Amino acid sequence: MTQPVHANVSPIDARPREQVAVFSIGDFRFVISAASVQEIRSTDSLGGTVVDLDRVVLRKVRHIVERESRAYYVVSGCDHFHLPLSRPSTVLILRKAPVAVLVDKIEEMAEMRVLLELPKSFIGEERVWYRGLTVLERNVLPVANPLGFLTATDLQQLEEQNPGLLHCTGGARNARGPA
Amino acid sequence: MSVENESLVPSFVVFQVGHRRLAMPRDVVAELIASPVMFSFPHTTTLITGVTLRRGRIVPILDLGPGLLGAPSPEARFFLVVERRASKFTERCAIPVQGECELVPGNMLPAGSETDFVTGRIDLNGEQIDVVDLEKAIAASARMEEGASQPEEALP
Repeated sequence: MTQPVHANVSPIDARPREQVAVFSIGDFRFVISAASVQEIRSTDSLGGTVVDLDRVVLRKVRHIVERESRAYYVVSGCDHFHLPLSRPSTVLILRKAPVAVLVDKIEEMAEMRVLLELPKSFIGEERVWYRGLTVLERNVLPVANPLGFLTATDLQQLEEQNPGLLHCTGGARNARGPA
Repeated sequence: MSVENESLVPSFVVFQVGHRRLAMPRDVVAELIASPVMFSFPHTTTLITGVTLRRGRIVPILDLGPGLLGAPSPEARFFLVVERRASKFTERCAIPVQGECELVPGNMLPAGSETDFVTGRIDLNGEQIDVVDLEKAIAASARMEEGASQPEEALP
């Protein structure tokens, strides 16, 4: 007798999967889509040049880092999430935004299989910070929104107060050497 | 009393937050859970102390202590899962409560309290228990919490 094609084969898990990086800041762990991160570097090996902003308009952004002829606003992860000061040792350079995020460290790379909506009872800034929540190894973790570190309004404000600075290249004013 | 009449009698879930015994209409209450695993992450919404995972759903945990007691609720082992019916959404939330809860049939009497989140009271063996409107209690708690977190004016 002919066996059904899928006999003894476990059902295929059709849930969408997404590769993510799990990073930590202080006591908290977060998840970010690996596809949204262009590069993960140690702060010691970042290279490039750090330029102070002419005018600090957002507490979480004080510098620009230039790397391979592109410039990124350096966002302090602990200031962004309103956490106590921590010791960032890693930078996440994002792909679709001129943003480099300082985090304490990368904990692991993982596969995200579920993205749950942030409950509607959450009504604060977290609605911009997170795409939702996920469950990894029985822990609920927030999934960072790569476009939430600096919103379009933030970027516009930074550009208005520091005109052209993001687009300057090496050796700019206030340069402080390698990051 | 016939079964038909029994179903017409409203019932309430009596619970305790800190020292205070309160009640909510039964249809608002989904379940009582003990010692759920709580998860927390950074956010800026007042009253939310974390979330728990219940049957594949994320359930936020709301502390109503500031409104109901004037202070955060004491540590709780039990959480009452309630259906929050806000003006723009409906979702389940968990409220930390002390001890177990009681299902009590009875008719609601006019409120004896001036507090805006108390919509009436029920008589439980001679004890008058305030019936709480969940959304108004959340609003009152949020006001208290936001008031408490406002920085005091700098001294000259």
